[in-house]
Amino acid sequence: MIERKKRDVGGTVINIFALLLVLSYAVPYVYLLMTALKPAADVQQIPPSFFPNRITLENFSTVLATPSLPAAFANSLMVAVLTTVLSLVLAVPAAYVATQYRRSFTTLFLLFALVTRMVPAVSLGVPLFTVLKSLGLLDTTLGLVLAHTSTAVPLALLLMSAFFEGLPKELEEAARMDGCTRFQAFVKIILPVMRSGIAVTALFSFIASWNEFLYALLLTSEKGKTAPIVIAEYNSVYGLAWGPMTAAAVLYSLPVILITLILQKQIIGGLTFGAVKG
Amino acid sequence: MKKMLATSAIALVISSAAADAETLNILVEGGGEMLQKAVAEQFTKEIGIEVQFTVVPYQGVYDKLSAEIASGQSNFDVASIDVVWNAKFAPHLESLDELFTPEFAADFSPALLADAKLDGRYIGVPAWANAEVVLYRKDLFEKADEKAAFKAKYGYELAPPANWQQWRDIAKFFTRDTDGDGKTDFWGTDTIGAYSEEWMAHVLQAGSPGVVLDAENNVIIDNAAHKEALEFYIAPLCQDKSVPENVTEIGWGEAQNLFYQGKTAMMKFWAHAYRMTPADSKVIGKVGVAPMLAGKAGIAGIPGTWYNVIPSTAANKEAAKKFIAYAVKHNAMGIEAPLGLAATNSAYQSYAGKPGYEHFEPLLKTLAAAATRGRPMHEHYQEIVDEAVLPAVQKALSCEDDIGEVLSEAKETIEDILN
Repeated sequence: MIERKKRDVGGTVINIFALLLVLSYAVPYVYLLMTALKPAADVQQIPPSFFPNRITLENFSTVLATPSLPAAFANSLMVAVLTTVLSLVLAVPAAYVATQYRRSFTTLFLLFALVTRMVPAVSLGVPLFTVLKSLGLLDTTLGLVLAHTSTAVPLALLLMSAFFEGLPKELEEAARMDGCTRFQAFVKIILPVMRSGIAVTALFSFIASWNEFLYALLLTSEKGKTAPIVIAEYNSVYGLAWGPMTAAAVLYSLPVILITLILQKQIIGGLTFGAVKG
Repeated sequence: MKKMLATSAIALVISSAAADAETLNILVEGGGEMLQKAVAEQFTKEIGIEVQFTVVPYQGVYDKLSAEIASGQSNFDVASIDVVWNAKFAPHLESLDELFTPEFAADFSPALLADAKLDGRYIGVPAWANAEVVLYRKDLFEKADEKAAFKAKYGYELAPPANWQQWRDIAKFFTRDTDGDGKTDFWGTDTIGAYSEEWMAHVLQAGSPGVVLDAENNVIIDNAAHKEALEFYIAPLCQDKSVPENVTEIGWGEAQNLFYQGKTAMMKFWAHAYRMTPADSKVIGKVGVAPMLAGKAGIAGIPGTWYNVIPSTAANKEAAKKFIAYAVKHNAMGIEAPLGLAATNSAYQSYAGKPGYEHFEPLLKTLAAAATRGRPMHEHYQEIVDEAVLPAVQKALSCEDDIGEVLSEAKETIEDILN
């Protein structure tokens, strides 16, 4: 009885600790939201207040009246979706082959795939600028998709390789025995099994592209400009418009939150993939 | 879905056609677009050359221009850059000497011209200029009982501060506990501890031949004027207690907000703020403006100028020069933009006496003052500020360190950076 009580107390302490941890993650976002709801005069109040003295949607109105923002949001969405699709199309089969048909060079292949992530992004900015300019792809969605894909593929490759490592080779062999071609086995049997891993990889690729700033700054001007650039423009040399900036950031975070909620089941499945294998 | 993706991809490639030769591409920060939009539209109507602005965040101007210059190709024919980047970009910019006829140059304050010239050639033309002036609570300064109380205490009339002593006296006078809870809740002014430019203005007021570096790039941060200015800068915090204590957390935005929230009686701030008081601010309609303070050398400020430059990699250099000259000729058009700034004397003078533009006279007086001059024109300027100047100012604001030692240490750090 005492032992059980001790366990209950221990469980409660752990739960409280976990709750505090979760809340600590949420605090910056909640503060962002609270700031977005403050009137302009209270945003940079000294000393700062966490909760608004008066709730107003004026910052959201300002943001929605920013002419360049809707197009920038649309560009961000298009770039992030295309980058995610393209990186999955390239990385999933590559990771499967590299892990399931292991040869001496496949390890090297995986290692070298990470090269673009081993150097600071800024050092690739100028070469990417030159390449895209010569292709006439500066300030285009396609150009930015290609730039983002160059950094998203290695990450996707790495993640998918880790997921494929836990996949039994016998699965493909069984499919082949049932008459599938190698490609059919991959598409009809392997991919559905890897749904969770693909969801996690897609989410990471999407978020990386959705929030990317440097390449968007260097490789776009007006037509291809994405939302992170427009949001950063609220910080001008003549003043920081905190209210509209936080309102825009809140709006910008909504699609990611929505996607995460929709893919919640697959993401949890993906994050725990292989965790209970004996 | 597949068809849609393929169609989108083809459309994207087609839409990336080469730029029209009759289009001038200008790289600007958000405020810069506002200030130049009207003149650009008129330029297109009159000259027939389209103007396309690429608006990026403040630091984006530097990053984007750097990348383009490094690649050897530029999409931009003109870039509007902050004066602090002039030295860094100078070797990669087109000479604009041909624009600077005596008549053209005469319309700018000498300090603005000095910052435009590097290695004997003009590399930029001032597009708009700003400087710190004194903003004060006109309603408080005009109150009869405040005036009487001030005169009784300090022996002279309460008026907008014109020199260091008046600044300190007035700041001390207005610092008070307004709700009787024993704590100060209204201050005479603020001290900015997150930036060092304000102190630099005091250095010039104290008579230094330059800020941090002299004309030959010798480090002079430990000269008598720098010491005197730093002593004055820290005095409201360390001696007078006439500013909020959390000075290192006070940057431009915070100082501005303290004033707008009605918590300070005065602030030294960039002149554009005069017209940007928020409608819901407690001080709306109650703000007065005066020139920057004077020290032994008279009034002095640090100009915050933006220059139109032409990257040497630009494609349409002639059209770019035409635009820059046109923008100077019609410089007053930017004044109607929310920031309400210009660069030429004639543009500012054309608004003299107009209600709502009372800050132009103090601004022009500050910009044109003999002791006003720019920040050091050195490619390592930002590094010098970040690693030596600002840390020195912040150390001094701890009110514990010896000013002389702080500045000597800063001198050593700067010499290390330069060598």
